[in-house]
Amino acid sequence: MSSASPGHSGDGGQSPAEPLSTFGRYAGPATLILSSLAEGEKHGYALTKDIEVFAGVRLAPGTLYEALGRLESQGLIEALERHDRRRPYRLTVAGATALRAHLGAQRRVADVGLRRLSRSWSAT
Amino acid sequence: MSSPQTNLERRAERLLWWYPRNWRHRYGDEFTELLIADLSDEPRSWRRAGDVAWSGLTARLTNAGLTSHATDPVDQVPASLASLSVSSGVFLAFGVAIWSQLTIGWQWSAPTTGATYAAMIVMSAAILVLFLLALLAAVPIGYFVLAGLARRRSQGLGLPALAFLAGVAVLVLGGHHFGNGWPGTGGHRWALQGLVPGGVAAFSWASTLSVSSYWAHPHALASFPVGEIAWMAVSPIAMVFVVLGAAKTIRRLYPGPKVLRFEARLALVAGFAMAAFLLGACAWVLGGAPGPKDLFHTGAIDVAGVAAMALALTVAYRASRRASRGALVLVKR
Repeated sequence: MSSASPGHSGDGGQSPAEPLSTFGRYAGPATLILSSLAEGEKHGYALTKDIEVFAGVRLAPGTLYEALGRLESQGLIEALERHDRRRPYRLTVAGATALRAHLGAQRRVADVGLRRLSRSWSAT
Repeated sequence: MSSPQTNLERRAERLLWWYPRNWRHRYGDEFTELLIADLSDEPRSWRRAGDVAWSGLTARLTNAGLTSHATDPVDQVPASLASLSVSSGVFLAFGVAIWSQLTIGWQWSAPTTGATYAAMIVMSAAILVLFLLALLAAVPIGYFVLAGLARRRSQGLGLPALAFLAGVAVLVLGGHHFGNGWPGTGGHRWALQGLVPGGVAAFSWASTLSVSSYWAHPHALASFPVGEIAWMAVSPIAMVFVVLGAAKTIRRLYPGPKVLRFEARLALVAGFAMAAFLLGACAWVLGGAPGPKDLFHTGAIDVAGVAAMALALTVAYRASRRASRGALVLVKR
């Protein structure tokens, strides 16, 4: 997965509909976290395991919490009450909107790429 | 014999120390749990250790207002200004040490190369500008600290402000005392010439006496008077008090968006003055000559000083840019 998101327009040019464009190298981990939380609330370790299953990527703990912190500070996820020492996180409405916009943009890029591949490289 | 779980907890807690205190307060427990689970899955991993170290340092830089991570400007601008004050302090400690060496040299004899001559003019002008900027920056901060203390709403400002004042007092008194002992300030037929008054040169020399290559030559250092060696040990502590006292005061104070914008603008100008100073220092190190009686000789300590100043300037530039952007957001709110 590319860490740069489509529509990235530099330091000050982020679109409100695409808050993930401000995440830089954490855009990839943030997308994975939001996609995992789209299914329901999860704590850190459950997120790591779920992402490992559906994306084949094991997010290292530091990267996971760096991305969680950024998502939380932007209001895309929210922390819930702790269970013992584990704290679950939940997707917010803003987070769902941002994820939908981000995945939609990625799908458009994927569609264009696949279409062009099928036209020009169908013989291979 | 400790249990495997206790060992994992210890390892997780050690990794947690990469992060700043406020981050540990917010995420510490849950992050430790994740680390313990991760350590159980994979006991040895350089990738995990590197990742935690990198993320921890990033969190520390964010906490210091030095990253582009979106944080509340109310916290970020004071943090950036505090980082600027620390980096400026480091810059000035090395810068004044180099500058005073040249000003003292000039008290005895004028430099013979254009590079040293130009370097001295640029560095002296930059020092003057930085001194004036520091005064301008200190006025509103001092006012708000005093106002807070008078209203008994100091929010923990008393101790850092006291540390700052104590550090300044030690540096001024000690610098004055040991500056008076410098032979160039009295009697010599070449003394009291040059670009800056001899008293200023001697004071600058004495207050930065600790920035010295003599630390690497203990035998030579041992021949110094005991008082001077004690001063070389005490003055850096006073400098730390000044810099950290100022940084903590700025960090804990919220003087309002307009004052923060004013401070951020001063910070940008200070960045230019520091860059000019550094260029002057580079001109001397690269193009200068030892001059008469080896007065303008450059050594390894000067090259190290220039390198330290370049690093401090990089941090100061980053901090001033972040402070400036954050202050703009605050004023527009």
